[in-house]
Amino acid sequence: MPKHIVRLVLLLVTAGVLAYAGKQFLTVDSFYRFGHYRGNSVADIASDRPKFRTPETCKECHAAKYTEWSKGVHNNPAVGKVVKCEVCHGAAGGRDKNPNSDISSIGTDHPNKLKLDIPSDTVKLCTLCHEQMTGRPKEQKQIVVATHAGDQQCKTCHNVHSPRTFVGALTSTSRPGNAAAGKAISADCAECHGKAGVSDDVNIPSLAGQNETYLADAIKAYKKGARKDALMTGAAKDLSDSAAENLAAYYASLQCKSAQNGEPKLVAKGQVLAQKCVSCHGESGVSPQAMWPSLAGLSKDYLVSSLKSYKAERKNNLMNKIAKDLNDADSAALASFYANASCR
Amino acid sequence: MDTLFHAAPFTGYVYPNETVIPWTVLIVIYPYLTGLVAGAFTMSSLYQVFGMQRFKPVAHFAMLTSLCCMLIVPLPLLLHLGHPERALNPMITPHTTSAFAVFGYAAAFYVILLLLENWFVFRPHIVKQAQQRTGLLGLVYRVLTLGSYDVSEKAMSYDKKWIFALAVIGIPGAHGLHGYVGFVFGSLKSREWWSSDLMPPIFLFSAIISGVSLLIVLYIVSCKLRKVPIDLECVKGMAYTLWGFMLFALMLEAVEFASLMYRGREGIEMILEYVRGPLVIPFWTVQLAICSLIPVLLLSFMIGTGTKGNALIAGVLFSALLVLVGVLMMRWNVVIGGQEISKTGKGLLTYQMPWVEQESGLTAAILLMAPLVLLTVAVRFFPPWDDAKAAH
Amino acid sequence: MEDKVEKFEEEGRRKFLRLFGGAIGGGGVAIAANALLPAAAAVEAPAKAAVPPIPNYDWSKHHWAFGVDATKCIGCLRCVEACKVENNVSKDPHHFRTWVERYVTLEGEEKARVDSQHDPVNIAAAGGEGKYRFANRYKDAKVDKAFFVPKLCNHCTHPACVQVCPTGATYKTADGAVVIDHTYCIGCQYCVQACPYGARFFNEEKGVTDKCTWCYHRITKGLNPACVEVCPVSARVFGDRNDKQSPISIFLRDNRVTVLKPETGNAPNVFYVGIDKEVS
Repeated sequence: MPKHIVRLVLLLVTAGVLAYAGKQFLTVDSFYRFGHYRGNSVADIASDRPKFRTPETCKECHAAKYTEWSKGVHNNPAVGKVVKCEVCHGAAGGRDKNPNSDISSIGTDHPNKLKLDIPSDTVKLCTLCHEQMTGRPKEQKQIVVATHAGDQQCKTCHNVHSPRTFVGALTSTSRPGNAAAGKAISADCAECHGKAGVSDDVNIPSLAGQNETYLADAIKAYKKGARKDALMTGAAKDLSDSAAENLAAYYASLQCKSAQNGEPKLVAKGQVLAQKCVSCHGESGVSPQAMWPSLAGLSKDYLVSSLKSYKAERKNNLMNKIAKDLNDADSAALASFYANASCR
Repeated sequence: MDTLFHAAPFTGYVYPNETVIPWTVLIVIYPYLTGLVAGAFTMSSLYQVFGMQRFKPVAHFAMLTSLCCMLIVPLPLLLHLGHPERALNPMITPHTTSAFAVFGYAAAFYVILLLLENWFVFRPHIVKQAQQRTGLLGLVYRVLTLGSYDVSEKAMSYDKKWIFALAVIGIPGAHGLHGYVGFVFGSLKSREWWSSDLMPPIFLFSAIISGVSLLIVLYIVSCKLRKVPIDLECVKGMAYTLWGFMLFALMLEAVEFASLMYRGREGIEMILEYVRGPLVIPFWTVQLAICSLIPVLLLSFMIGTGTKGNALIAGVLFSALLVLVGVLMMRWNVVIGGQEISKTGKGLLTYQMPWVEQESGLTAAILLMAPLVLLTVAVRFFPPWDDAKAAH
Repeated sequence: MEDKVEKFEEEGRRKFLRLFGGAIGGGGVAIAANALLPAAAAVEAPAKAAVPPIPNYDWSKHHWAFGVDATKCIGCLRCVEACKVENNVSKDPHHFRTWVERYVTLEGEEKARVDSQHDPVNIAAAGGEGKYRFANRYKDAKVDKAFFVPKLCNHCTHPACVQVCPTGATYKTADGAVVIDHTYCIGCQYCVQACPYGARFFNEEKGVTDKCTWCYHRITKGLNPACVEVCPVSARVFGDRNDKQSPISIFLRDNRVTVLKPETGNAPNVFYVGIDKEVS
């Protein structure tokens, strides 16, 4: 065989051996350990640090908020509806971005450096799940924002951590008002609203036993002009905030008195219609939510004229919508029911 | 790189991740170059293996062309990789179920085969240069001789046997390699446009016609440049080869298209919309009407009427140029087309080729020109011309 | 200390065997045989000796699976956002490890209209890229039927993506997750093409392919994947099939489930309830 062919074959064999040796040498150590891949990569991938840390982590420092949430409708594992802390506040764990690898575990964590998001625009946040939308299952609570509360923030009324309880309810226990101090300045009010807060004039509401928060808010609303009334605007003008609180505390402490003389048929009709009102004004007109008024014991005429005002000029997104759907007969029935209902 | 990725516009519904087209124009270039390799090799083996004497003028030239194209083939792939520095991983730990992993080995094997074949073919020239030249160039030639200046009758007959044997191995090698490229696409069940058993033969036949066309063009141009007469018999032979293989290629594509339509599996509505809309220019007009039907009709006419002389040369050259464009369009319509039809079967995407960046029209153009540049250099050191041997 | 030496020797021996033992023909035959086996062979034989050193975790004891109850999904896209955060996924609307599709059939129309959070209308409704919200675009339309479908990697039993990977950078773990070794991937994107579900994408920043891992770094620590963790309506279910009382075992027992594109033979491990014929 000619020399050049022998040499060529030798060259090829050498190259082949070198290539094979190179292949073996370059094969990473853990390759083929568990299969056709780098065995060490399994633990590498698993070593990444989780960012979402579960509500149990939040509980360690935010026990009160945790309890509030865990008792509310946003934690209802029985029906599979659980909105955990990190759904709205974002991940509690941080991890620095390392362009070369996922495996980096150095990062800033809440609570040391990282501040979690406290969503300010609750309308935007809550509607992610609760905006009425084609394709959402019926079981999901959904609202049409415009007709539900207009441009008001959800958190104005709802406790965001437990949306079926309401903002007022939470603060009711700790109003700053002093009933005795309130009594001392109540003489002017008594002229219209009655001696013990029970009004003799059917067109003027009784105040006795009314929700403290509601009363304080109402006085402040007249003062600021958010609510208008020929007499009340003037009366509230000169009241300080603390005076308002004191008055509220005083009237809230009094015992209300209901008429209990309604026409039974009308009352019965009103009771059926009142089902709509239950969630805010309570089963029988005694409001469980401090920010909304109790209706039991208010006069029929006052209630009717109130509903009428909600139909017309008085602004309240919820009440406007409700009043719009009531005709005069319905209004009368409802008013009778509440006027007739016993307070407490 | 200014932008990390380009989002493709879409209509209908496409999976969110599909809006970045994964395989770009470079992956169009890759099968095109591989095809040229296979086609050019076919031409040379028609002489080396099947003894068709009329192809003698282009036999060695074809071999060199094939090698030059093959050396560029890995480039578009390399430029496309997210981590080119890890390009050896598929060779170090080849995953045997992957068409790409095996491609690495097949391509390496094929490069070696081409190098050997070329070495044997040019050995007499190398020996002669090694004896005549001095300096660096002489040293290179002397290294290439492997220290043996044996060009005796006996040695040459050995070489002849090797050339024959290598060419015989090369035929399934080259065609296997290119059929394999078809398999890369045809074996994917995720895309109806690609998923076809006919993909390998379609790629193969279009490869052969593109390689033959390239040789026709290069041969005629080189003769004009070197001011030597064009061997009409050879041109006519290549015209016949082109014509014959074109008929096969067209038939195969027609069968594939017909069965795709006839099967009418899920997503066929989208494919029909695609075929009727975005494909009107690149497929029906350019690839089919201009670059397939015109050359076939022209070649048929010339062969039927026995056209001779300069008219024949001009006609064949024109047809070959059209076929070169046509096959490039075919690669485009397969590679890009497949990705423009969404996997959802409910939407279409549009690939927008950037002109100047890593994966762009400019890169593609450079890569297409690169084998020609390489070839221009190569013919200076390894003259493949039939007449050159006689002249020296 | 001694352990380390032994491990080192063991590795040396293995390397030696690979170098010379394998060279004699056997390797070639094995490769040829392996190449001809069907897709199923793509999933290599499980652990030979030890298990990967993951603290307090033995992958041979778990068999993960995922369930999606589309009748519960409200399309809030919290899963999509959480996934992007948890896994450092680029916030743009072209790279998702998980996404949610909306199918709406209007009255008098035969075919559902489909969109997802990457649709320009939905991006606009969200207030820009990197935020995720479905636009209320059908509120005034007459709708026959509408529902949401969460999507993610199916972690198939016969993954087409693993089959085509040239290097072994992507693989199926013994406990059922299909993951990617980002330090070994060459970025050819063949797997992106091979996946019929569009679950894979190219991470341009890192130059490698990326996809859902079922949050492998979480599930190996006893946590749920991030998307399951934040789903407010339990539309996503995850668990260990080896544990008969796990959420996924109960889900699979109590429901008639289906998988996406079963005809591809990939055998997905994400099981669906309540999807329609058009979902694929």
